[in-house]
Amino acid sequence: MRLLIVGLSHQTAPVELRERVDFQARGVSEALRSLASRGSTREAAVVSTCNRAELIVACDDAAATRDELTRFFGDFNHVAASDVAPHLYDLVDLDAVRHLFRVASGLDSLVVGEPQILGQVKDAHAVATETKTVGPVLNRLFHSSFAVGKRVRTETAVGSGAVSVSFAAVSLARKIFGDLGGRSVAVIGAGEMGKLTALHMKSQGVEHVTIVSRTMAHAARTAEAIGGASAAPWDDMDTVLGASDIVITATGAASPVLTKAHVEAVMRRRRNRPLFIIDIALPRDVEAEAGEIEQVFLYNIDDLQATVRENLARRASEVARAEAIVREEVDKFGAWLRSRGAIPTVVALRQRFEDIRRAELERLEFKLSSLPPDARARVDEITHLIVEKLLLTPTEQLKALGDADASVSYTEALTRLFGLGESEGGTNVEPFTRGKTRNR
Amino acid sequence: MNLIPLALYAAALVAYAWHFAQRNTMVGRTATTLLIFAALTHTFVIGMQTMEVGHVPIAGTTSAISTFVWLLALAYLYIELTTDERAMGVFILPLLVALQIIPAMNPSVEARSDVLQGPLFGIHVSSLLFAYASFALACVIGITYVLLFKEIKAKHLGFFYARLPSLQVLDRMNQVAIVIGWIFLTVGLIVGVVWAAQVRGYAGADPRVQAMSLQDPKIFGALVCWVLYSFELFAARRIGWGGRRAAYLSAFGFAIVLLNFVPISYFLTKSHNF
Repeated sequence: MRLLIVGLSHQTAPVELRERVDFQARGVSEALRSLASRGSTREAAVVSTCNRAELIVACDDAAATRDELTRFFGDFNHVAASDVAPHLYDLVDLDAVRHLFRVASGLDSLVVGEPQILGQVKDAHAVATETKTVGPVLNRLFHSSFAVGKRVRTETAVGSGAVSVSFAAVSLARKIFGDLGGRSVAVIGAGEMGKLTALHMKSQGVEHVTIVSRTMAHAARTAEAIGGASAAPWDDMDTVLGASDIVITATGAASPVLTKAHVEAVMRRRRNRPLFIIDIALPRDVEAEAGEIEQVFLYNIDDLQATVRENLARRASEVARAEAIVREEVDKFGAWLRSRGAIPTVVALRQRFEDIRRAELERLEFKLSSLPPDARARVDEITHLIVEKLLLTPTEQLKALGDADASVSYTEALTRLFGLGESEGGTNVEPFTRGKTRNR
Repeated sequence: MNLIPLALYAAALVAYAWHFAQRNTMVGRTATTLLIFAALTHTFVIGMQTMEVGHVPIAGTTSAISTFVWLLALAYLYIELTTDERAMGVFILPLLVALQIIPAMNPSVEARSDVLQGPLFGIHVSSLLFAYASFALACVIGITYVLLFKEIKAKHLGFFYARLPSLQVLDRMNQVAIVIGWIFLTVGLIVGVVWAAQVRGYAGADPRVQAMSLQDPKIFGALVCWVLYSFELFAARRIGWGGRRAAYLSAFGFAIVLLNFVPISYFLTKSHNF
C-alpha cells in the first residue's frame, strides 16, 4: 500500500486557478465517490480550502495513480488538464505524510500557524469517513496529523499572537478586560473604518456599541448598519466615554479630537476604571500624551501594526521547533507503516509454519492413531506451541524494523529462505518503502 | 522531617519555572502534581508533629513558618485548581521554598510555653497565618499585574503578555485576596488583644506578657499592616486606586508582613519570642 498526495496550493497555483479547482463547488463527497468509481485508489480523502486543493489517497501503484489523479483534477473541475498539471505537486509515502503533518500544523499556510487549517483537515477526514472512502491507513494518517497539529500548537508559539490589526486590537482588549461580554465600545467617527472595527468588536462578544459622530444622521445610519448599536450626538461624548471600556477613534479630523486633558477629565469621571483607546485614524485623533495617564491604554494603528509584525517574526522563529516535531512524528508514522508493510510477510511465514506442522501431523497419523484422544489433543497443542515460540522473536523483530532498506532485505531473505513466494496463492510481499514509485 | 516537603517544593518550583518558560502542558501537570505531593507530605509532617507535641505546631516562630508555608501551598493550589491558571506558580514557589528552608534547618518542634494556652491563642495564630497566606497571594498577583501592565503600556507585548491572565482578572483576584486577608488579620488582631488581656490574669509576671504592648515591634508591625491593607481596600473602592496602585500596595504590604513574620519575630520582638 502506497500513500500519495496530489494537489495544488497557494504556493504553486495562482488564485484564478485555485478558484476554478475547487472541490467544494460540487461537493467533496461527490468528488470522493467519483474518484472511488475510477478504481485506482484504495482509500481517499480531499482537503479543499480556499488556499489548497489536495487529494490524499492510499493506492497500490503510485505512478499510475498519480497520472490518474492528475486527470481527475481536470475532469472533475472541468478544467483543461494542461492548465492544471503544471501547478500540481505530487508526494509519495513519507513525503506525503510529512506534507499532511505540515499542513495540519499550519506550517504550509499562507499565514504560518493559522489555526483554521486544522479544523479544515478534520472536516476533510469527517467527509471522507462519511463517504466511506477512508480505511485503516488514511484513518491513522489523519488522526496522527490532528495530534501533530495539536502538539505544534501547544508546544511551540507558532500559532501565537494576532497577525492582523483587528485581531491584535481584540487580543489586547481581552488582555486588559478579560472576557469582552458585557463590555461597551464607543466608536468616534461614523466612517467605514470605524464601522468595520465596531462590527469586529461586536462579533467578539462586546455587549454595547455606541457611535458618536459630528453629524447625528451619520451616526444613526452607521449604528443601524451595524445592528444593535446606538448613536449619540457629539455633545454627549463625555457621557459616552464615561460609560465605555473601549474607545475606537476613526474620524477624518485634522487635529486631535481627544486631548490629554480631556481624557484625564473622563478618567476622573470613570473613577480610574481602565480605558482602552484604539486610534485608527490618520492623522491621529488622540494626543499621544493621553497614553501616559494611569489606566489609559492608548494604541494607534502603527502600534497595532508593530505588534502584528512582532507576532509574525515570533511565529517565524518558532517554525524550526515545529518542523522538529513534524519530523519526529513522521518517523513514528513511518515505523507504523513499515510494521504494516511487514504484515504480509509475517502472515505468509506463519502460514508456512502452520502448513508444515499440519503436514507432519498428517504424515505421522498412523503412529498417533493408537493414542487416546486427549493425548492426541496434547500432541496437537504442543506442536502448536513450539511453532508459536519459534515465530515469536522473528515476528517482533520484523515489525520493529526501523530502516526501510533493512525491511526490504529482511522480507526478501525470509521469502527466499522459507520459499514464501511459492506458497499457494502467491502472497504479495511488498514491503513499505520510502521515496520514489517502485514496480516489481 | 521538613526536608522532604522542602525537596518536593523545590522540585515543583523547577517544574513551574520550566512550564512558565516552555508552556508545555505535560510539564505544567507535573508541576501541579509535585506541588500536591509536597503539600500532602507537608500535611503528614505537620500531623506527625501535632501527635508528637500534642498540639498543632504553631506556638514557636519556626513551626509557625512551616504551617504558613503549608497554608500558602494549599491556598495557591485551591486558586490554581479553581481558575485553571498555572502562571502564578512560578512566583509563589520561590517564597514557599525560601521560607520552608527555615523549619527544615531547625527540625525540632519547640515545646509550647505554659503561657500559650486556651482556644483564643489558637484562633489568634491560625487567623493571622491565614491572613499572611492571603497577603502573600495578593502580593504575587500584584507583581504579575505590574509586569503585564508594563508590557501593555510600553506597547511591547511579549513574555508575560503571552503567559498571564488579563489585567482585569488579576486585579479582581488581588482584591479578593486582600479582602479575605484583611478579615482574618482583623479577627487575629482582636482575638490577640483579648487573649493578651486574659493571659495577664494568670501569667502576668512573664516578661514576654509584660512586653505585649504597642511599643513591641511585632505588635506595632502588625498594626501597620492592618492600616496599610485597610487603606488599600478603601482606596480601591473610593478613590479609584485599583489596578497598578493596588498591586504596588499589595506587594509593599506583604514586604512588611514578611519582615514582621521572620526577622522581627526572631531578633527584635520581646513579646512574641516563644
